Amino acid sequence: MRLARRMWLASALLAALVGAAFVVLILAVSAQRQATEREARSKEVTTASLQLEKLVFDVETSFLGLTLTRSPTFLGPYRTALRELPSRLSTLDALASDDFRQRARARTLTLRIQEYVTDFVTPLIPILRESPGIARDNALAQEGRRYTDELRRLFREFRSAENELARAASRAAERRADLAVLVGLGAVTASTTLIILFGIVLSRSIGHRVRAVASGASRLAAGELAHRLPERGPGEIGELTRSFNAMAERLEQGRRELQAQNDELRESERMKTELVSIVSHELRTPLASVLGFTSLLLKRDFEPDTRRHYLGIVDAQARRLAALLEDLLDVQRIEREGIALASERIDLATLLDQQAQLYAAQSPNHRLEVALEERPLTMRGDPNRLAQVVGNLLSNAIKYSPAGGTVALAAERRGDGVRVIVRDEGLGIPADQQSRIFTKFFRGDAGATGITGTGLGLAVSREIVEAHGGRIGFDSDPGAGSTFWLELPSGLADTMTTKREGM
Amino acid sequence: MKRRFWWLVAGAAAGVLAAEPWPGSSQAGTGPATIRITEREVQVTRIDLGTRGTSPGDTEVVSQRLFNLRVTPKSIGHSELVCTFVDTRRLRVCRGTYVLPRGKIAVGGSLDYRQFYDLAVLGGTGLYDNARGSVTVTRTHRRPARNLVVMRLVG
Repeated sequence: MRLARRMWLASALLAALVGAAFVVLILAVSAQRQATEREARSKEVTTASLQLEKLVFDVETSFLGLTLTRSPTFLGPYRTALRELPSRLSTLDALASDDFRQRARARTLTLRIQEYVTDFVTPLIPILRESPGIARDNALAQEGRRYTDELRRLFREFRSAENELARAASRAAERRADLAVLVGLGAVTASTTLIILFGIVLSRSIGHRVRAVASGASRLAAGELAHRLPERGPGEIGELTRSFNAMAERLEQGRRELQAQNDELRESERMKTELVSIVSHELRTPLASVLGFTSLLLKRDFEPDTRRHYLGIVDAQARRLAALLEDLLDVQRIEREGIALASERIDLATLLDQQAQLYAAQSPNHRLEVALEERPLTMRGDPNRLAQVVGNLLSNAIKYSPAGGTVALAAERRGDGVRVIVRDEGLGIPADQQSRIFTKFFRGDAGATGITGTGLGLAVSREIVEAHGGRIGFDSDPGAGSTFWLELPSGLADTMTTKREGM
Repeated sequence: MKRRFWWLVAGAAAGVLAAEPWPGSSQAGTGPATIRITEREVQVTRIDLGTRGTSPGDTEVVSQRLFNLRVTPKSIGHSELVCTFVDTRRLRVCRGTYVLPRGKIAVGGSLDYRQFYDLAVLGGTGLYDNARGSVTVTRTHRRPARNLVVMRLVG
């Protein structure tokens, strides 16, 4: 169920509870007011009945006075009562009209008073004047007592009933008040419980989650982009956490991409710096030789042999410069256009022999061993590029074995392809540099040891081998030498042009 | 001997049952009630039997028509009162009967003044069978003489 609906339902339930409690309280207050009004009315009724009773017994007193004394002066209260009785009776009737039983009692009372006054007292007053002896008749006193006793009883019953009505109303009001207090307490308890539960639910389902989202947002802001929220919670909160996680995922992905771009930029910057450093270093050395020897040749006259020797050095250094420039241009060309390979049928054994002879003459300190198990090792490929690869590997093996030693070149057919191995007994490659050994311009500690190079040979070699559909790799034991190997397929179907990014 | 004993027991039981009144046989049909009616004197006849003037043995016969004006203006019955004077002044002993629509009520007793007197209800017939109580008569109008009659029956 969605959170908004839950909140609406909870609010409606709370409102209904509070509303019900208020209705009960209003009813109780209304009952209290009715009871108060009833009590006030009862007092009025009781007062009216007492006033009426007083009038009735004024009549009785007058009549008894007349009976005993035969003096008409006692008839004053009687006459007053006769005047006031109708209004008093109608007042009592009106006041007692709330309750039908009281109204019936009031009417009975009215009837009996009227009977007493009109059927007994009023006829007997002239009779007593006319026949005073009647006053001595016990029957008269008895009859009078019958009337007045009944009237007293009726008044008593009327007031008792009225009091009982007032008490009943009061009790009912008290019961309602008690009920209202109970219901109020219950409603307050239930409302409080509901509010607390509502608060707990809000806190747990919303507040807790929102705090978690806020905390997560803070952690994201602090750069902890891997932080994720548990995707729980009702309705919108669940959506919020899911959206938060999606946002965090996108941010993290963006950061990864930025990081990768940054790394690339850093690497590019590093490579550029390294390139400048290498190129400047690699250019400076032969250029200094060229400049030094040409300056010397221009300033002084040397013997022809000496001049030829110096010119030979200038030529070698110039060629070195040309080779360096060729390497740089080659890398640039590969990056821009890929490698254009010629697809020719070649004998790899012959190619390896030629390269071995070429490099064997370069270093008198190294012994080059060639082991070719099978001749010819025919395959399709670009002979110049493959010669470049093998030359690179042999050159590196010689350069990185400054103390001399054996450089082994071997080749064998393996499956449909050929595996070539170049092994040296040189410096080896430190473990922490092995992963970057094919990276462009990476030379590890070689620069510091005075070994010349651009750091482009292995990178270009890998491009060439992979362009042939092969693989290149190495095993190295630092201090004990390295073994570079390459595996080439036998056939190269077409001349391929590949452009490698990130070389 | 034994048979004679049982005949005596049966006879005693029959005697006890015969002596016990049947429940309600002595009750009036009205129960405790008050009858409030008015009467109008129709005729008063005085028969001077003794010495001239009021003397013991003189007889007074009063005939009256009964009304219940709350119900109907027409007469609902009549009553007759026969009184015998017992002194030379006003004291007389009376017997009378109120003939009402659903029965008769017999009254009796002594009275001094006919403006106000009370008599005992001695019995009755019909609805008022075996009635007891009292009747109080109050003159409310002098000419023509009209009385208020209040009968208070107790059973």
